[in-house]
Amino acid sequence: MRRALFWLALAAVLIALPQGLSLSQQEMLVFLTINILLVASYRLLTLTGEWSLAHVVIMGVGAYASALYAAHFAVPVPVSMLLGAATAAGVALLLSYPLFRMKGFYFLIGSFAAGEIIRLLWRRFREPFGGPRGLTRIEPMPSFDLGVWHFDFFLPASYYYLVLAVVAVSLWTLWRIEKSPVGLTFHAVHWQDSLAQAAGVNVRAWRTLAFVIASGFAGLCGALGAHYLGTANPQAFGVEQMVFVLTWAIVGGTATFHGPILGCIALTVLNDVVLRGLGLEQARPMAYGLVLILAVLFLPKGLEDLLARALRRLRGAGARTEPAP
Amino acid sequence: MRKGWSLLPVTRRRFIGGAAAGLALAPAAARRAPAQDKVVRIGFLAPLTGPVAAWGKPGLDGCRIWAERVNAAGGIRLADGSHQVEFVPYDDEYDPATARVGATKLVMEEGVSFVMMLGGDPWPGAQPVADRTGMLFSTLLPSDLGPDTPTLIAPAEVHPVYNVTAVDWLAENRPELKTAVMCAQDDALGLPSVATYLAAFEAAGIEMLEEPILFDPATTDFAPIVTRMLARGPQIVCLDTCYTDYVHPICEQLFQQGFRGQVLSCTADFYDQIIARTSKEWVEGMLFQFPDFDDPALNADFINFEDPNGFFATYNERHPGEWGAVSWEYASIMDLWKAAAEKAGSAEPAAVLAAMKEGGKGPHIFGEAEWWGADLFGIDNALVGNWPVVAIEDGKARIKEFRSIPAWYDRHGEILKKWMTEYGQMWNQR
Repeated sequence: MRRALFWLALAAVLIALPQGLSLSQQEMLVFLTINILLVASYRLLTLTGEWSLAHVVIMGVGAYASALYAAHFAVPVPVSMLLGAATAAGVALLLSYPLFRMKGFYFLIGSFAAGEIIRLLWRRFREPFGGPRGLTRIEPMPSFDLGVWHFDFFLPASYYYLVLAVVAVSLWTLWRIEKSPVGLTFHAVHWQDSLAQAAGVNVRAWRTLAFVIASGFAGLCGALGAHYLGTANPQAFGVEQMVFVLTWAIVGGTATFHGPILGCIALTVLNDVVLRGLGLEQARPMAYGLVLILAVLFLPKGLEDLLARALRRLRGAGARTEPAP
Repeated sequence: MRKGWSLLPVTRRRFIGGAAAGLALAPAAARRAPAQDKVVRIGFLAPLTGPVAAWGKPGLDGCRIWAERVNAAGGIRLADGSHQVEFVPYDDEYDPATARVGATKLVMEEGVSFVMMLGGDPWPGAQPVADRTGMLFSTLLPSDLGPDTPTLIAPAEVHPVYNVTAVDWLAENRPELKTAVMCAQDDALGLPSVATYLAAFEAAGIEMLEEPILFDPATTDFAPIVTRMLARGPQIVCLDTCYTDYVHPICEQLFQQGFRGQVLSCTADFYDQIIARTSKEWVEGMLFQFPDFDDPALNADFINFEDPNGFFATYNERHPGEWGAVSWEYASIMDLWKAAAEKAGSAEPAAVLAAMKEGGKGPHIFGEAEWWGADLFGIDNALVGNWPVVAIEDGKARIKEFRSIPAWYDRHGEILKKWMTEYGQMWNQR
C-alpha cells in the first residue's frame, strides 16, 4: 500500500512538474528526462562488468537512423523512432562480434575505437549523413489532438509528456529485465564469470545481450532528442558527452537501479540550474570539476549510498518514536 | 496538461500566454519588468566555456564595453525616449540543445529584443525558436543563412568569403609565390573556408600542391600533419579557419620543422603567444584577416565604429592578452542594430530588420556595404563590403589594405560557387 502511494505521488509530481517551471526549465526537463533513460540503459551494460565508451555514439546511431528513415522513407516519426532504436541495437550486435573478444580495459578502448569509427563515417559521408554539419531540419513529432487536448510537440511541456511516457515504460522494462533471471545472469557474468561459464552460461552471449538491449534504449534516447531538437551532428555524440554519462553513473553509483539516475539529476541541476542561477556562467566547468572531486573523495559509493543512509536514519528515527506495545 | 497549445502562427506573446505556468514561474524576468521600462535587453547566446569559447567570451567582453560607452552617451534613442542597453549572456557551450534552452530563455523569459550568436553547430538548435517567434538573430557564420531563415542576419563578417581578400592581396604583392598547401579541421567552420581558399588560389593562379588535409577536430598532435604539408615544398602554408587551439601548435610545428615561407590564416588570435612559441622573425609577414583596433588605418572616415583606438585600449586594460578576432565583431553588430533601431524608432525585431535592410545597403564597420548573398546563401541577409588584409610586422598586426569582397566576387564568383558545390557548402546542399 505504502509503495503504491509512493508511485502515485511520484507520478503526480512528474505530471505536475512542468506547470511549476519556466519555459527554459521545461526545455531542460525534456533533455534531463532523455538523459535519465540514457544513463539507466548504460547501467544495464555495466551489470555485466563491462564499461563502454561507445554508448553515446550508439545513441547517435538511433538519432541519425530515425531522422533518415523519416526523411527518406516517409516513415511516421513515432515508427521511425522505434526503427532508430532497432538500428542502434543492430549496430551494437554487429560491433559485439569484435568487441566481446575483449574484456575489461581492452573492451573499453575497443568500444572507444568503434565509436570513433562510426563518428568518422558520419563526418566522411555527406550523403546521407550530412558530413561534419550533420543533419538539420529533422522531421518533428507531428502535433495531434486528443479530444479537447491539443499537443504541439514544439512546446517543451508537450514533448516532456511524450518523453516521460516513453522513458517511464523503458525504465520499467529495464527494471523488469534486471529483476528477471536474465538480470541475475548479468550479475553472475559480472561477479562470477568463471563459475557461470562452468555452469554452462555462455558469458559472451549474455554480455552481447546486455550490450544490444542497452544500445536499443540508447538509440531510442537519440531518436527522442533528434526529433525534438531538429538536428544531429557528429560533435554532439563525442567522447566529451560520453564523459558526462560516465560521470553521472560514477557520482550516482551503479550498485542500484536508481543510482545513475540520481547522479544524472543532481549533476544536471547543479550544472544548469544552480551554477547558472548563481551567475557562475563561466566558472561552471571549474565548479563542476570541484564537485566531482569532492564526490569521489567523500562519497566513493555514490549518491545512492547517501540516499540509503538517509532512508535508514529516517526509518530508525521512526522506529524509535513508535510507542512501546 | 493544458488546453490550447495550438500555436500556429505563434508569436512571442501568444507563446508565453499559452504556457501560463512557465510565465508564472519566470520570476527573474517578471520581477525586473517594472524597472526595465527604459532598458533594451540584448541576448548574447554564444560559447562562453569550452574549446570554442575564444570566439564567444571576448565578444561579450567587447559588448559590455560597447554598452558602457553607449549608455554613457545617453543610450539608444527610440520613439518613446532613450533606453539604456543591457546584455543578457547565455553560454550555449557550442551545443544545439543548450542553444535551444538558451534561445527560449532569452526570448521568452528575459524579454530580449535581439539575439547575437556565434552560429555554426548551435544554430539549428535555436532556429525553431527564431522561426516560431520571429526574433531577430545574428550569426558570425553566414553559412547558417538560408532562404528559410529570414530573421537570421550576418551583418559583421561574411566568413569565409572575406578570406579571398588576403589571397588576392598576396597575388598582387608577392607574385613570386606560386604554390600552396592547406590544412583545416573537418567541420562546419573548416569546410566552407577550404572551398573559399581553393577558389581564391585558383583565381590568383596559385597552384595547390595537394588536396587540403582535413583533420579531426579532436586532433592534438599536429607534427604529422605539418610534416606531410611540408613534404611537397610549398611556398605558402594556409591554415584555413583553424581554431586558435590549432593555429598555435601548427605554427610551432612549422617553425620547428624549418618552414620559412608565407603563412596565411583566417585568424591569428593571441599572436603574441605564437611569437613566444616561434620567434618575431618567423611570424613577420604572416597574413590574416582580423586587425588590432589600435591600428591607425581604422581612424579613416569610412570606418563605422566609434573610437576604435579607445575601445582597444579599454579592452586591453580590462582583459589584457585576450584581444581576439571576435572582440569587436559583436560590438560592431550592435552599432548596426542601434542605428537601425533608432531609425525605426523601435526595438521590435521586424521593424529593426526592415530599417536595417532599407535601400539594400548598410553601414558595415569597414565602410558602406550591401545586403548580399542570394547566390551563395539563398538569401540577401549578409552585409558585404570591404575587409582588411592584416599582416604581422615587427611583432604587431597592421592593416595592409582594405579590399572589396563584392568586387572579387564579380570577377571570380563562378569559381567560388564551383568549389562551394564541390565541398557541399551551397545553401541548397546543406
